[in-house]
Amino acid sequence: MKFIFDWLDDRSGYRNLLHEVLYEKVPGGARWRYVWGSCLTFAFFTQVVTGTLLWMFYSPSAQTAWESVYFLQYQVWGGWFLRGVHHYMAQAMIVLLVLHLMQVVIDGAYRAPRELNFWFGALMMGVTLALSLTGYLLPWDQKGYWATAVATNLMAEVPLIGPALQKIVVGGVEYGHHTLTRFFALHAGVLPAMLIGLVVVHIYLFRKHGIHVKEPRPKKDSYFWPDQILKDAIACLAVLLAVVGLTIYFHGAPLGPPADPANEFPARPEWYFLFLFQLLKYVPAFWGAVIIPVFLVLWIFLQPFIGSSRPGHQLNIGFWWTLIAGSVALTLLAFAEDRANLRHSAALDEADWQADRVLSIIEDQGIPPAGAVTLLRQDPDNRGRNLFAAHCASCHRYNGHDGRGFPVDDVQSAPELAGFASVEWISKLLTHEHYISEEYFGGTAFKDATMARKVLAKYTPEEIALLPKIARLLSDMAELPYQEPLDEDEREELLSLFYNDDLDFQDGLACIDCHDIDSEEEGYAPDLTGYGSDEWTVAFIKNPEEERFYGDENDRMPCYGKDAKLTDEEIQILSDWIRSKPAE
Amino acid sequence: MSELEEEDSSRRKFIRVATVGASVACGIFPVAAGIPALLDPVKKSTGGAETVPWSKVALLASLPEDGTPAKFEVVQEKVVDAWTTYKDVPVGAVYLTRKAEDVVAFNLKCPHLGCAIDYRKQSNDYFCPCHNSSFALDGSITTANSPSPRPMDTMETKVEDGYVWIRFQHFRPNIAEKTPLS
Repeated sequence: MKFIFDWLDDRSGYRNLLHEVLYEKVPGGARWRYVWGSCLTFAFFTQVVTGTLLWMFYSPSAQTAWESVYFLQYQVWGGWFLRGVHHYMAQAMIVLLVLHLMQVVIDGAYRAPRELNFWFGALMMGVTLALSLTGYLLPWDQKGYWATAVATNLMAEVPLIGPALQKIVVGGVEYGHHTLTRFFALHAGVLPAMLIGLVVVHIYLFRKHGIHVKEPRPKKDSYFWPDQILKDAIACLAVLLAVVGLTIYFHGAPLGPPADPANEFPARPEWYFLFLFQLLKYVPAFWGAVIIPVFLVLWIFLQPFIGSSRPGHQLNIGFWWTLIAGSVALTLLAFAEDRANLRHSAALDEADWQADRVLSIIEDQGIPPAGAVTLLRQDPDNRGRNLFAAHCASCHRYNGHDGRGFPVDDVQSAPELAGFASVEWISKLLTHEHYISEEYFGGTAFKDATMARKVLAKYTPEEIALLPKIARLLSDMAELPYQEPLDEDEREELLSLFYNDDLDFQDGLACIDCHDIDSEEEGYAPDLTGYGSDEWTVAFIKNPEEERFYGDENDRMPCYGKDAKLTDEEIQILSDWIRSKPAE
Repeated sequence: MSELEEEDSSRRKFIRVATVGASVACGIFPVAAGIPALLDPVKKSTGGAETVPWSKVALLASLPEDGTPAKFEVVQEKVVDAWTTYKDVPVGAVYLTRKAEDVVAFNLKCPHLGCAIDYRKQSNDYFCPCHNSSFALDGSITTANSPSPRPMDTMETKVEDGYVWIRFQHFRPNIAEKTPLS
């Protein structure tokens, strides 16, 4: 064994190198405040290794990026873990960067003779942020897509070359294949290569000048190995544990619904860029994209010189603390504003719904070559809620919202339609209190019509007790997929109530005296034959002014079919969707 | 050695072991995080012979009655390639030979190393142009010292409503026993 090592040392001189690396002097002894650089190196090493492994699964194109990440996340053994570690280590790296920077600033390690290394460090911070930014897009989910659109639009603010720069990075005007191939090449090739080069220079310069010792020295001098390495390794283990903890707790990194330029999503960057995002609410984009970064670069360049005097050093420390405090404040403000915004949380819930939905469709049918986004676009459930939101929700509601969970600003002026034609829905409809409430016809002319004033308002408690049975009978005609049908005997019994054969309603009238229920074209009130069924619902949406529905008493309900406001296919999807689920 | 020195030396030893241990853990971690994902293809198996779907390949009437082989593309109804599900995709090719109402199907791939085998009309046999394995019409090896370790690979066939159906499969190359890839 010794012979082999001797041979290797003779040919390579590795022992000298190792000695050089390990026996770096640490004046004043090993200290915890020196661990951040090693932690960052460890974090970057983890990113390179896990990133290379992720590379084996990733396919950068508009039809395969999300899909390959989906596959890794949900189909590959331990794929979620690998992806999660890369995701959370990226975030840990940002935190470590700030800690390292602050340690360097507070200890004054940025001043002569270490100016050059300070600038290199700042450059590395820029590259790391660029890595985060490019990595955010790669899963090609809604979040990454919309946030990257904002980030690259900022790029266009750069004077003269801005628009060209944006085109180069995006690979054209539209976001697509070339955006992904370029971002991927940047993220997995160009930027890591730059960072590796910078790390080498950074460490070389660090070794050249040695550790900047923070006075007073707590202990006698020692060496890098093993004292400082032990502290470094323990700190790295702590970082590792935090990252593994986050990965397991959140079961890996999130994956939103596939990117869709036609499906709006409130763009938010990753949390460590939120302060910039918030800042852009107050300052013009030009400031955020050009003036502030240029100022920062200049300031960082000048800091070693400013810091050569004691007040200058204090000024520098104050500057970074102010910057951090400002960023934290802006970040908190951004979170608070989003939390207070009902539309924002509804949009996040909607994205969660879409993400879950696309997973369950994939389980059924797999992903077609055209990509997962087409599954959502063609999904009747997704289309139904979107059609409802676009065409019905300004008057109607669905579980109190617009069908997708968004609050509606307009006043409700037509019935709530969640659980439409179900026993519960009809039971409530037949109660005077609900009939005239905003939830049903309170916002329409029917509030003061015969049914409300002369019928429902005058029911006795005994009659009211019979209403759920009438509701059961009517609801049976809707043939809702989630309700059990009546058997023949039950139906006969309930029909007799409708005809009022045995019971004596107070006003001497039975339902049948105004409403038809078996297509005999009797009665002047709406025909209830097939009420709430697919045929009835489709026909009603197409033309509520038909004789069997409201006729000329229709109050503002548009004729979606007759006036060609919706296609037959869309009306069918709406009808299916409204009838598909009970109310929540 | 005094007691104090001894204690100090065992402390130093502990520090060294702890340092090496913690450093190695940090070094191995990123690789370990990806090992399961990396090994995923080994873990996954496409299942046994029963799970191989039937593919409709040709009209029985289109096969020469004298047993001359005819080459056909095999189109599978559904193919899942990692995340994408394709419909009606060509997955390979076969030679079909007819014996009355029976059909024998040979995979076009040579059992040696997977080159595409030719049918030679002149000598009425199969020949692999890569390493010169040759096979008789029944698939048996005809060369001495044949590079191919086994006869051509046959697959299960059936005839229904005048159509030939087969269970198309690939097999492990270059071993004597015909073993499906799964």
